[in-house]
Amino acid sequence: MSTEDILVKTKLGEYLVKRGLLYTESDEWVKIQDGVVILGITDYAQKKLKYVVNVELPEPGTQVNAGEPIVTLESVKSVADAYSPCSGEVVEVNEELYDTPDLINKDPYGAGWLVKIKPAEPIDESKFLSPEAYAEKIKAKEE
Amino acid sequence: MLKTARETPLLETLRKYGASVGEFAGWITAMDYGNPLEEHVTTRNSVTVFDVSHMGRYLIRGSNLFEFFQKLVTKDLSKFREGRMSGPVLLLNEDAHIIDDIMLYYLSDTEWLAVVNAPNIEKDRAWISKWAKKWGYNITVEDITLSTTLIAIQGPRAPEILESLGVSDAKNLSILEFLRNPSVLGEEAILVSRSGWTGEEVRSHGYEIMTTVKHGKQVFEAAVKAGAKPAGLIARDSLRLEMGYPLIGVDIGDDTNPIEARYWMALSLKKEDFLGEEALRRIYEEGVHRFRVAFKLKKGVRRIPRHGNNVLINNKIVGHVTSGAYSPILGRSIGMGYVEATHFYIGFKVAVDIRGKTYEAKILDFPLI
Repeated sequence: MSTEDILVKTKLGEYLVKRGLLYTESDEWVKIQDGVVILGITDYAQKKLKYVVNVELPEPGTQVNAGEPIVTLESVKSVADAYSPCSGEVVEVNEELYDTPDLINKDPYGAGWLVKIKPAEPIDESKFLSPEAYAEKIKAKEE
Repeated sequence: MLKTARETPLLETLRKYGASVGEFAGWITAMDYGNPLEEHVTTRNSVTVFDVSHMGRYLIRGSNLFEFFQKLVTKDLSKFREGRMSGPVLLLNEDAHIIDDIMLYYLSDTEWLAVVNAPNIEKDRAWISKWAKKWGYNITVEDITLSTTLIAIQGPRAPEILESLGVSDAKNLSILEFLRNPSVLGEEAILVSRSGWTGEEVRSHGYEIMTTVKHGKQVFEAAVKAGAKPAGLIARDSLRLEMGYPLIGVDIGDDTNPIEARYWMALSLKKEDFLGEEALRRIYEEGVHRFRVAFKLKKGVRRIPRHGNNVLINNKIVGHVTSGAYSPILGRSIGMGYVEATHFYIGFKVAVDIRGKTYEAKILDFPLI
């Protein structure tokens, strides 16, 4: 955790919100790097989901639409989807997750990333939440 | 829902050990401590400590407890005596559907203790009081859930942990026997019993300690220091599934009778004169339409069967799943559910539909390990 990052504390837990990322209403993080969108789930999401035992990823080359479920995450407790933040083509998936799905729990903002998507159109960053706005959202949910 | 949730009195202690908290049956408690599969395996191979303070606890007092409970519950209590637990016993309604499965503790002729499931703390109390009144028994029910704690120490190394907590008599307990007011860490606890709900208790590897809140914190910490790994409700769930123990409100409930649930350990088939008996006899004669079974999936299938998934034979629905988990002991997904009585094919293959894909599964009897 860098000193810049936000640690949201509620009565149910502590959740890291990293700076330098964009956030969605459905608890994913998005990073735009060299024209490619990297998608993962947030620390809050992985803590709610609990220990992940199975991840189902799309095939590279799959065309996806914004808002469409593209990754299924299954924990010991429940099943959740991660949604595509944009339309475009899946260019890479995190194959490490097939053998070690709990990377999502251990390092949600790093080694636990899910997919990389080449967007069909330039990303409109205003459609996402800032780290501050996302931190507020978590607080509001658990107050 | 979260706003009204109660916290286990040990929550702050559990957090110290890295508890990932969540809600179960209106309680905020430890779901896991980072890796519930490891907690499961440690329970089977070594020893773990669970906070199960979310279970309801009542002190029940009266002059005719034996007579009253003999009428109220499914199991024959005629051999029940001081220092013993009986259970699970069922509270049935007049239709022989299941209100709850509970544990009874015989403290003295005039004082018993009941441990009930978390979702039913208020319901069972009202049920017991209602029938006591109706049948004319002078019985009081005192809910001591919030002023006490219940800690389960489970696994082959559990006797060692009890030893290091200073409960030297624990090793002499037989299953479902308890010590009343024993010294734990040099302080008096309410009781120490040889019991649990993980399956380790049947191998005589399980203990439960009931004590005050303050003492409970010390006991939990001392158990961890002595080498018990903290474990949460997710591991407790997969452990009980391996054993085929049903969960109230999920696998059994007020839409289930104990015969279709094959809940034999909670029944005494020869017993007479208890609430629900008439309906139970009628069901027994007429037969049931479905049976509770266990099943396992093939190795390598990563999906876990979930409540409500269909069980199929050649695309025909013959049952449904009520619980599922990943068993790290068997290295595969397992589950529990009901199949139609016409398709009660123990040992046979079926399919389970998990989110639109079907997977081969084998129907089995309990326990799975």
